[in-house]
Amino acid sequence: MASRELTFRILRYNPETPDVKPHLQDFHLNEEPGMTLFIVLNRLREEQDPSLRFDFVCRASICGSCGMLINGKPNLACKTLTKALPDVTTLMPLPVFKLLGDLSVDTGVWFRDVSLRTESWVHTDEVFDPDAAEEKMDNELAKEIYEAERCIECGCCIGGCATANIKPSFIGAAGINRVARFMMDPRDKRTEQEYFEVVASEDGVFGCVGLMACDDNCPVGVPLRSQLAYVRRKMAVAGWHMGRGR
Amino acid sequence: MELQKVITPSPRSDLIVEGIQMISGLLLVLFLWVHMLFIASVWLGATSFNALANFMSRYGLVWITVAFLVVVIGSHVGAVVRRIPKQFREQRIVWRHAKLIRHMDTWSWIFQSITGAALLALAIIHVVVVTYGGISAKISSTRVFNHFLIFYIVLLLLAEYHASVGLYRIFVKWGWVSQHRLHRVLGVITVLTVGIGAVSLYVLYTLGAHFA
Repeated sequence: MASRELTFRILRYNPETPDVKPHLQDFHLNEEPGMTLFIVLNRLREEQDPSLRFDFVCRASICGSCGMLINGKPNLACKTLTKALPDVTTLMPLPVFKLLGDLSVDTGVWFRDVSLRTESWVHTDEVFDPDAAEEKMDNELAKEIYEAERCIECGCCIGGCATANIKPSFIGAAGINRVARFMMDPRDKRTEQEYFEVVASEDGVFGCVGLMACDDNCPVGVPLRSQLAYVRRKMAVAGWHMGRGR
Repeated sequence: MELQKVITPSPRSDLIVEGIQMISGLLLVLFLWVHMLFIASVWLGATSFNALANFMSRYGLVWITVAFLVVVIGSHVGAVVRRIPKQFREQRIVWRHAKLIRHMDTWSWIFQSITGAALLALAIIHVVVVTYGGISAKISSTRVFNHFLIFYIVLLLLAEYHASVGLYRIFVKWGWVSQHRLHRVLGVITVLTVGIGAVSLYVLYTLGAHFA
């Protein structure tokens, strides 16, 4: 059977040449068995246009570098098989993040900012004793924390989020999921009031309007919907306690 | 922390507004369902409809309902307005985004703002017309027959859509039910309430034709 000729309509934009307006450029390539977008983009760069910019590291859905809009849907290019794509595929960079050029965006600065704002580290006064035996964690709890930790910070939940698209200060599902991870962790000694300050605002969980594009588009299947609901319920209870405490 | 946050009166304000949005929305959905059932009394004939209407006006229930609606719709609008992208720049981004990612729930949110705005206008007209025009089998059915049939069909559909999407959003956000089951349950409820309303309108229309 003759292989399909695939068309890739790719957004071209270089911030260093602002005179050239952002535009879609068509590339053509014959499909091969087992072909992923990772292979496609590398071949296009090698064989057709060395100036094409995109990010890849691991090609195995672990590093989270290759998030992009594939026919509008945020997803990882490396785990997208061309078999699942129509003859014409549009590729655009993820919105919200700083566009470095073509399909390449800078998710790092965004995630670092969210990490700082949500204080994503274990808060504790306990002094670390290197000689003491490690404290065991309940296995079920460890698994729950790991569910949240599986986030690879690809930014697909952020790019797909309508609120994040219009509100740069919104920490999005990735940020709220991160806070959930620390809320579950018994080693983090933050009180619910302290968490409330971090996440119970319009920039945090109460800024979410519940469209769940994050959950629908997460390439690694982090249960973002239940994580958001978990933080929302926790913060409602915390708010209730704060009201009663006065 | 920055000054503007330190001097904000309540750190819980975002939670409280979210609560007002949810509770007022739930009250309005509840009101809508009771309203549909009351109207459906016309199925049993003009007498039962009149009996209910008389009961409501005799004990001032009509005015209590109007006061309830002013307060609840007022707080609902006040709370949800913060969600609607108001700047032109935001509007452009949201529409572009919805077209781009082709995600159903994102579209339903856009329709939610549109139907909400439309409902505010329609509900005001509806309340004013009904309170000043009066409620009885004759007055109401003549109203439906003469001018208001299209108005009521539009109001019914918009209200049910808005209520259904709003309920869906609340349950999804708080994570109370599975998304799949929610779709089914809400679908059934919406078809049911639209059905009840449509039959009521049909009965009123034929009654109006009879009076005419």
